[in-house]
Amino acid sequence: MIMESTPQSLTSSGTGKSAKMGSRIGLTQELIVFLLAIALFTYFSLTLDNFLSSANILNLIRNVAMLGMLSLGMAVVVIGRGVDLSLVAVMAVSLTFSIVLANQGYAFSAALVLGLALVIVVAIIMGFLIAYVEIPAIFATLAVSAIVYGLGRGVIATLDVNNVPDNLDWFLFLGRGSFLGIPIPIWLFAISALALYLFLRRTGFGRFIYAIGDNISTARITGIPVRPTIILQYVLSGVMAFLAGCVTAASVASMNMRMVNSTLIYDVLLVVILGGIGLSGGRGGVRNVLVGTVLIGLLLNGMTILDFSYTVQNLVKSTVLLCALIVDALLNPRDEQTSQQGDI
Amino acid sequence: MTPIVELQGATKEFRGNPAFADVDFQLQAGEIHALLGENGAGKSTLTKIIAGVYPLSRGKMFINGQEEKLATPAEGLAKGIAMVYQENSLVPSMSVAQNIYLGKEKPLNRLRGIYISAQQFLQSLNFHVDPSAIVGSLGAAQKQMVEIARAVHHKAKVIIFDEPTATLTPEEKSYFFKLIKKLKDEGVSIIFISHALEEALMVADRITILRDGRLVASDKATAFDRQKIIQAMVGRTLTDEIYSGGSRMRAPRKRGAKVLSVENLSMGNMVRNTSFSLYAGQVTGIFGLVGSGRTETLKVVCGVLKRDFFHGGEVKIDGKPKRYLVPAPAVRDGVVYVTEERKAEGFFETMSIAENIYMGQLGGQSFGGFNIVSMKQARFVAEEWRKRLNVRAIDPEAKVIELSGGNQQKVVIAKALVQKPKIVIFDEPTRGVDVGAIAEIHDFINQLADQNIAVAVISSYLPEILSLSDRILIARQGKIVEEMDRRIATEETIMYAAVH
Repeated sequence: MIMESTPQSLTSSGTGKSAKMGSRIGLTQELIVFLLAIALFTYFSLTLDNFLSSANILNLIRNVAMLGMLSLGMAVVVIGRGVDLSLVAVMAVSLTFSIVLANQGYAFSAALVLGLALVIVVAIIMGFLIAYVEIPAIFATLAVSAIVYGLGRGVIATLDVNNVPDNLDWFLFLGRGSFLGIPIPIWLFAISALALYLFLRRTGFGRFIYAIGDNISTARITGIPVRPTIILQYVLSGVMAFLAGCVTAASVASMNMRMVNSTLIYDVLLVVILGGIGLSGGRGGVRNVLVGTVLIGLLLNGMTILDFSYTVQNLVKSTVLLCALIVDALLNPRDEQTSQQGDI
Repeated sequence: MTPIVELQGATKEFRGNPAFADVDFQLQAGEIHALLGENGAGKSTLTKIIAGVYPLSRGKMFINGQEEKLATPAEGLAKGIAMVYQENSLVPSMSVAQNIYLGKEKPLNRLRGIYISAQQFLQSLNFHVDPSAIVGSLGAAQKQMVEIARAVHHKAKVIIFDEPTATLTPEEKSYFFKLIKKLKDEGVSIIFISHALEEALMVADRITILRDGRLVASDKATAFDRQKIIQAMVGRTLTDEIYSGGSRMRAPRKRGAKVLSVENLSMGNMVRNTSFSLYAGQVTGIFGLVGSGRTETLKVVCGVLKRDFFHGGEVKIDGKPKRYLVPAPAVRDGVVYVTEERKAEGFFETMSIAENIYMGQLGGQSFGGFNIVSMKQARFVAEEWRKRLNVRAIDPEAKVIELSGGNQQKVVIAKALVQKPKIVIFDEPTRGVDVGAIAEIHDFINQLADQNIAVAVISSYLPEILSLSDRILIARQGKIVEEMDRRIATEETIMYAAVH
């Protein structure tokens, strides 16, 4: 009894200390990011002439809304200790699919429904591969991303850029309109943030996602339907990608599949990690996505106005991402006993 | 003659709790030394000290008369001390030859070259193993041979075996014993930890017995017999007062309905064709030593471990055959498992006490995922269970990981019991739990049985089994081998049935 009990109490109280520290600093990490965002905003408004112009603010908001919706999707998966690298591909290809169908004569609303159906089918397949076949999320989503992009580029459409059919003012309104003086993309972002907040906080499945991210073995023994919940995570992230795609397509009246080859997915990861959702799972929530989105949105916009080249922007972003990953690893250390092989 | 390994006043503590204390131990050159004792007596830790896995907290270690402070297993190996672990430490995807030469490869390594020299080396040991075979495809005994060959190849003068025979078949065992005798003739000293007393009596030159972290006997094997060893292993002074009361002071409960029956259950070589039943309103104690498959058996029953589809016997709950592939349906049918490894699979460390208990309630319902979560209800449920189990936390919002071991265990128990089970399986319910909490948990287990719930308690601590159980099952080598009436059971008779 003596020997078997002691190493256990040793490790548990050891990590107990670090977990305590993590949560304490985790709170302030959110605050730090928020303060940084305010500082950045003030700095840009004072130093950049065009920053506060209405055109720029609108541009900023549109980009932030798209980034924020993708990040909400990513956040759900990361809380469940997964990762979804297929978000951008799914977003671009599903909207392209809808647009191509519409151009072939389908009603646009029906085309959108079919696009959403495609997203859900892809997410269920991906979730099945991860939950039942037990392929590590990072590889499964990467492979699915490549397949989806390949299908989009090779089978669904022959061109990278596909234009939304004419006379679809109601759809373009999603990207360009405003309600009570606030642009629709922001409304959509806010509504989806609220919906996901309620889902994560107030529903059984939302709590299950936290439980699985915290400790999948405990979740299993507790009787939580672990594998269906994992599939649900990926369906939700896919739906968020689709919504983000709608906003993007509506604001520029087209969908450009070259987006898949951009660094957008890293921006999304950057938002999620910088906002304070640890990759070790079970931590963080919608609030972290909000602060992360604001900071990264400001940073990207400011760098564009400052006319940083694409390469320099990438350098800055990847450096920030790396720093955020290091801080995350220090604050939320992976526990050897509970971590499983394969997740990132 | 100078002993090859000597410990003087050796003490190893983990955060102030001694794994063993004041042990004086001697290993002579060319002897086979058996190390015996109950689970947790400190045997594995003692051998790990000798192999250099842990440093000593106090005391001295001498190798060949020289005082040494080993910091890593590599340093131990350099001094000629090799350890063969309970879990195989071979690389399963590599060939036998590659495993033998692992860490000692020449800069320009030729696969053919090492096959030839490994072949010659294995032949010189008279081991019939194909050096090009992949280790993962070998049987347990052959893996053991490869481990030994590796140890000999490293020119080990001392080889330590931790439970070498637990997974071997009888023929493999006799082969293994021939082998260590041969090594002994070549001047190698052997330490082996075992639960099989006959083996120790038959093979060993010297026997040392540990109990509760103290060395209680060390003498020539011829000075012992089975009875003497068992007495030395279980004779107890510590913590007697907690366990002296309990069920021994009252009549055993009458058995209720047969709620679980297991027939010819098998899984790999851990669970071998075992059969037993559990009854409502009783505490069934399940005793077994390491490798007896008691945990695995019950984990299969409640779906935590998955069996092959095509064989494996039958599990009946309330007379209906059930085959659980995951724990979720078992939980809904009222079969819950309280794990022995609470940190790895017992609680959610980022969540508060209330959230943990509430998660048990949600997980226990069919379609619990569709529920609307109410933190008010969660706190209410948690508060009720906190009171019932007397969980002590300064801050009710504290995360479970910040609690003491005993309070953590109570949360894990509450999380299972909130699911309103009919059958509760406790696996080592008081491991790593302080003395006060042990008494409370025992009281609580008794209350459950009084409420007509079928309770199974797996424990390797005999006093716990004796003070809790209404009936006692004994597991040995993957099988429930004996059922004992606890009115006649004693520590000696149980241990007698559990060792082999």
